[in-house]
Amino acid sequence: MNDLYLTLRSVTPGQKGRDALQKAGIRCSLLRAPREIAPGGCAYALALREQDRSRAQTVLDRSGVRWVGCYRRRADGSFVRTDP
Amino acid sequence: MIYLDNAATTLRKPPQVSQAVVQALRRCANPGRGGHAAAALAEETVYRTRKTAAAYFGLEPEQVCFTANATEGLNIALRSLVRPGSRVVLSGLEHNAVTRTLTGLGAELVPVSAHIFDGDRWLEAFSDALTPGTAACVCLQLSNVFGAVLPVDRIGALCAARRIPFVVDASQSAGLLPVRPAFWQAAFTAMPGHKGLMGPQGTGLLLCRAEPAPLRFGGTGSNSMEQTMPSELPDRLEAGTLNVPGIAGLGAALDWLTRQDPALLLRRERGLLDTAVRGLRALGVPVWAGADQLGVLSFRIPGLDNEEAAARYAKAGIALRAGLHCAPLAHRTGGTLPEGTIRLSLSVLSEPGEIRSFLSVTKGMMNH
Repeated sequence: MNDLYLTLRSVTPGQKGRDALQKAGIRCSLLRAPREIAPGGCAYALALREQDRSRAQTVLDRSGVRWVGCYRRRADGSFVRTDP
Repeated sequence: MIYLDNAATTLRKPPQVSQAVVQALRRCANPGRGGHAAAALAEETVYRTRKTAAAYFGLEPEQVCFTANATEGLNIALRSLVRPGSRVVLSGLEHNAVTRTLTGLGAELVPVSAHIFDGDRWLEAFSDALTPGTAACVCLQLSNVFGAVLPVDRIGALCAARRIPFVVDASQSAGLLPVRPAFWQAAFTAMPGHKGLMGPQGTGLLLCRAEPAPLRFGGTGSNSMEQTMPSELPDRLEAGTLNVPGIAGLGAALDWLTRQDPALLLRRERGLLDTAVRGLRALGVPVWAGADQLGVLSFRIPGLDNEEAAARYAKAGIALRAGLHCAPLAHRTGGTLPEGTIRLSLSVLSEPGEIRSFLSVTKGMMNH
């Protein structure tokens, strides 16, 4: 289950990040960020598995993709911020 | 029709281009404006072109910004660097897209001139003019009037050494010559999508290696609560709905170009230009030709007004352009004001038979 959400300001870094993660063998999906984790309105998120967190951060850093926030989705659907 | 006006726009495109445009018109919604399938397809279509262009020009995808044409890209670049009174050094071959923009900004224009087809002389002229206090340097890679190829790699190195931002107009060269903004150390490189890149009209690219100021303000589908434009590229420059069908067509064109052998395309086009130059000279037609030249040839039919000559070519089914080609500065530098010239311009899809037909019609005109 993809329960870790890395939020991005716009779609292009999201697409670049998605491609980089998938190239590194990390499963992820790019989606429009739920309102709760997009206080600025209209943002995107890369959703991936918590277990891939460390490796994903390395891959994104290397690709020059900066995310805005890191959130874990709870079982009830709400989010908790878990920035490193 | 024999189409030899490719410096204005290429008319014959790879068939995939129109197919991609039609597909996008039918299936793509507004990118970044929804999470539904049609918006997502538009986002992926736009990103695919962005990524292909980035690979083609040796940059990162976010450094590729879509514009409506080269003029818009040059406006953004120059407005980002130039203030009223700024000293701007430019080649004496620049288009009105540069000179009118700089004039509108209230800049001090410092055009440099040299023998049109002598790259070393151009370099010397730029070296003399690029003095401390220069706000920007602008140079085209290939002249839309004379086909002269300017040494933008060496001019870029000069600018970098003197810490002067460098802007390249690759309007006539993109798709034919290597365009390498990182190697040139260019702050901005602007080009249309609809000429040598073979995409549809209404498309253009601005390749950004410096921070640009937005020309348009509005919605980007990102960070909507914020009332200033996003600082990140490409959103900073892409307010409003993008030309998704055009961008899809440009992507198909870039895919096609990427599969071609660039050396072969260059050799073919050089060969066609040589044939045209030799043929015209054999007929006694004055031409502006030289060693560092590609794709574009200016000439005149003795005793005939340029527009009248172009009209006669058009009547014979040959499309050429006469006049000043929106570049009076280039004609001043080339000594072809006020009449201008007749311009023949090629594309990588031009054919030897088209040049033969053009020469045959020219022969008929010279005999009358």
